[in-house]
Amino acid sequence: MKMKAIVVAFLILATATLGSFFRPDVRPGYGVTGIGWLSDYFTPLKGTNMDTPIYFMDSGNEGPTFLLMGGTHGREISGTTAALVFIENVVVTKGRVIVMPFSNISGVSIPDETGKAPHFIQVETKSGPRFLVYGDRRTDPVDQGIPDPVVFMHAQSGFTLEDGTEARNLNRQYPGVADGNPTQQLAYAIIEMIKAEKVDFNLDMHESGTPDEYIDERGNTRSGSSLAYTLVCHPDALEIGAVAIMEIEAFYGISMKLEESNLSYRGLSHLEIRNATGSLSFLSETPNPGQDSWRKVYDVINDPDYPLKHRVGLQLQIIQSLFNAYEMLMGETVLVTGLPSYDETMENGLFIYLN
Amino acid sequence: MKKLLLTLFVVFCFVFVSFAVETLLEEPVIVTSAGQSPGALQFTVVAKMVNLDYKFDKLYKVEDVDMSQFKTFVIVVGASGKGLGAAGIDLEVEINRVLALANKAKENGLKIVICNLEGASRRGESSDRIVTTLAPFASVYFVKSDANEDGFFTTLSEKAGVPMATFEMTVGLKDVLAQYFGK
Repeated sequence: MKMKAIVVAFLILATATLGSFFRPDVRPGYGVTGIGWLSDYFTPLKGTNMDTPIYFMDSGNEGPTFLLMGGTHGREISGTTAALVFIENVVVTKGRVIVMPFSNISGVSIPDETGKAPHFIQVETKSGPRFLVYGDRRTDPVDQGIPDPVVFMHAQSGFTLEDGTEARNLNRQYPGVADGNPTQQLAYAIIEMIKAEKVDFNLDMHESGTPDEYIDERGNTRSGSSLAYTLVCHPDALEIGAVAIMEIEAFYGISMKLEESNLSYRGLSHLEIRNATGSLSFLSETPNPGQDSWRKVYDVINDPDYPLKHRVGLQLQIIQSLFNAYEMLMGETVLVTGLPSYDETMENGLFIYLN
Repeated sequence: MKKLLLTLFVVFCFVFVSFAVETLLEEPVIVTSAGQSPGALQFTVVAKMVNLDYKFDKLYKVEDVDMSQFKTFVIVVGASGKGLGAAGIDLEVEINRVLALANKAKENGLKIVICNLEGASRRGESSDRIVTTLAPFASVYFVKSDANEDGFFTTLSEKAGVPMATFEMTVGLKDVLAQYFGK
């Protein structure tokens, strides 16, 4: 009995010391031509819970390079799942696509801090049961290794946020700091990778709360998330974004809001990646009922209004529409086969596209 | 891709457009934002589709513009915190900037279009305040239908006795421009 207690205490201590080791379940399709690690571009990440796999899908034909990022925030699962669908189904026929499905793998390795959603959600795919991972918005505090500051300060600009936990939010750290804390180093490594691979344009896939109105504790009607159904673009990429969302509205009946990076709100991917690397940057937001703080119960997979297939289908459509708009305005683009459209995802279901 | 674009243009032709009264507008056109949402840039994307002769700057200042060179002034309304932040201005400064332009346009005999291109997502206290402030200058309203579900723009256009054209989808603005500018 005493021995058992010692073993349990040791395991708890070890977990607390080492963080939650996590390697994602990714089942590449024929389009994947190479697999690497983010640490290939910044070696201090190697062997840590900040390192993450990168999938290369090279057509062998000259053309632009596109970077697709999911999992910046671990609970925003339309992004991670859309990245998986891309890796497992798509073949690139012109240009090159690099996919990083779990950008902050440390955040994915721990459950959502709200505690309302299970960490691992079982779904039925072509190969049978498989688990989607519903992680946290921020880096595991154990991996960060230092206490959160009282006030978060963006390293390069001095821009501050009152919530000190934002020090563990990857999407506040760009362009990152080589000798900074682990989350700053993660952002730095991503920038190094984008520079080294000469990425022409990129999409960072996110989720927000839903646009549904709700009644607060005082009985007042409150607006839902204004971020839902938004495509945020670097000012230099705004015209491409405008064309992309017009196409989505015209063909699929989904009206998205176009937003431009706020130049004074620092550290976000859509602003800083372009400024640091030249890569045209976009950030998408689909509505996740799991991110509505007012909901007591929710189903992040089968919600009747915002099912995962709707959210992932939209992310996939945004990718295709960005490819189309990029061609219209830049003269060439990435060409792919096997990328399900929004309508196909809605009609066939999502999980038929997971191996 | 070409097939997709072709289909997109076919879709434009079937977009529902309604006109209360038809007012023919003339080129050249000057376009600016009122509220710094990306709607004004979206307007220019559609304007290119009909080869509209326009000049655009989301931050035109009255002292920098020779209004006598233009026949129509398009104000695309949509308040955006991100956009205002990006421009480093607040709502008051923005309203005053556009008001000065609208006054100058009126002095020079330009027709003034107030356009909501982003629909319901650009309805709210700030956007509505911009619209009502500019309403006395309106020669015509171009409005995405879901921005007018409560009749906000209908009321303004009827009160002023000016026409309003509505469209269901953003790309539907193409037909409105074609009709009003005789393209």
